[in-house]
Amino acid sequence: MSTPAANFNEREHVICQVARMIDERYIYWVGAGGEPMSSALLAKQVHAPNLQYLTEDGVVGPEPLLPFDPLMTLVASRAVYRALQWSTMNYASDVAHLGYVDYGILATLQVDRYGNVNSTVVGKYEGGEGRRFGGPGGADTIAAVSWRTILVTDQQKRKFVDRVDFISSPGFLDGPGARERAGLPPGTGPWRVYTPWAMFGYDTDCQLMLQGISPFVTVDQVLAEMSFKPKIAPKLERLEVPTEEELLVLRTKIDVAGQVTDRGRWIELRDGKYVFSDT
Amino acid sequence: MRILQEGRSEYLKVDPDGYRAFVRDHKPHQMVSKLMTHKEAVEKLVRDGDYLAYDCNYFMRGPASLLREIIRQKKRRIWLCGKFTYVACALMVESGCVDRLDIGFIGFGPWISRAVREKKCTIYEYSNAIMTLRLKAGAMGLPFLPARSFGGTDGFNHSGCKLVEDPYTKQPIIVVPALNPDVSIVHVNQADEYGNARVFGTGITHQECALASKRVILQAEEIVSTDEIRRDPGRTSIPHFTVDAVVHAPYGAYPGTVPGYYASDPAGVVEAMGAMFAGDFRAYLDKHVYSVSSHDEYLEKVVGASKLAEICRRETIREGYRI
Repeated sequence: MSTPAANFNEREHVICQVARMIDERYIYWVGAGGEPMSSALLAKQVHAPNLQYLTEDGVVGPEPLLPFDPLMTLVASRAVYRALQWSTMNYASDVAHLGYVDYGILATLQVDRYGNVNSTVVGKYEGGEGRRFGGPGGADTIAAVSWRTILVTDQQKRKFVDRVDFISSPGFLDGPGARERAGLPPGTGPWRVYTPWAMFGYDTDCQLMLQGISPFVTVDQVLAEMSFKPKIAPKLERLEVPTEEELLVLRTKIDVAGQVTDRGRWIELRDGKYVFSDT
Repeated sequence: MRILQEGRSEYLKVDPDGYRAFVRDHKPHQMVSKLMTHKEAVEKLVRDGDYLAYDCNYFMRGPASLLREIIRQKKRRIWLCGKFTYVACALMVESGCVDRLDIGFIGFGPWISRAVREKKCTIYEYSNAIMTLRLKAGAMGLPFLPARSFGGTDGFNHSGCKLVEDPYTKQPIIVVPALNPDVSIVHVNQADEYGNARVFGTGITHQECALASKRVILQAEEIVSTDEIRRDPGRTSIPHFTVDAVVHAPYGAYPGTVPGYYASDPAGVVEAMGAMFAGDFRAYLDKHVYSVSSHDEYLEKVVGASKLAEICRRETIREGYRI
């Protein structure tokens, strides 16, 4: 069943990338919806049946009953089904503060070269002038105390900015040592940023570094969709496309109504190459 | 303790001694029946100018029917605890109940944006877990608690938190101000007439809200006997002495779910979200709040028996809930 798919969209591709990073040897705190939750659910279905994750309502290691009703990714009975423990938000936060959470997975509106996360406002904060969003939610805690943080966002110039308009959740702030000076635990911080087009890590100076690229785009295309020039790893990893098996699970069990995946461009295999369907 | 950096926003005054005295003088230490209607509870216990916290949200075992009653009674100048929530804050702001908001996560939408630009609503920035920690400090009778998150964020600058030197390790650490709301509303699965209550499933801060708040209104899916509570004391989430009113509210979380009892109504959820982000919020309020005078009338005339039967039928999971 692990046949590379011939037809998929950008959103499905990035969910599969993140899902493949997920490993049942570790404990995850997964953002409440969107791509992070879809990736965790996909990993649990496809290759990590014993995956343990927390969500901010204090669930520990559920075996969710899929699919979920719209927005019902937390608290609802199907989302928390057959967990190892049911608890509350402060308990989840305590577990993460203690160092049990190896990886946090989050989506973000905007990310900068130090991996800072903005989910509050695009534009000017003061006076309510900018376009306002819901706030950090649980992400601030996830980004502060998980050992490693994985971000998911779109490859768009307005999303990769030199400095986020508002730091809702901490990346490396303004460089080495800044997290510790701000009271965050040492040894924690951003680890990867995934977009449908690329994968980034961080260099020792805490700055974003392009490390992998999807087969349907070029490095120049990726760089054209960033407001700053990132470092580039000497050897770029090729990000493998979704498999038919992953897509089947994603489409029939996880995002049946297309609430997460029904946006973004489609990609197809044409003459042995992956290309955007609209080109 | 040396202060290294301070958020510059207003926050609800921290007064643990005042709270202790309030508990001594005003909390119901004796077991007395507190059953009342939505209308009575809100009239008696929610006041203009209150700091109000609610647990969970409009869609997930939240006190939706009490929130609608607060809007219906046109409470004013409420300072609202906006954590782990979607539409309730926008409903409360747009209906004119709220002029200050502490934000962890809310469905922001155009309505709150407009209120902020028109200076009808002031917002303060936190995160969900910082707000639950503030309630935990309030629930422990303490003035503050430390956290190893929130430092370095822009939210910190717009909050009442401080960065201090930890007197033990000498490292920088965030401290958050305790929160003791004037009033909290919590949806519980079962309660007796005195307010001994059970919450089943996962949650956010139901216990902290009850312990930290001067006045507490529970809305209960089921009213049970005190004998039933005593049969399994380990399942008691909230003790009676924290509670000031118990409102029987079957389907009180509609259009949201009460796990183990009924599923959410996807159409109702989409209608509320749509109204908040793109639609006519006034029309939503007219239909779901102002067109009726009580929760019972709402269930009968707006929601309807067949919808209620449907959401019960759709909730197939019982494991871990009813006992």
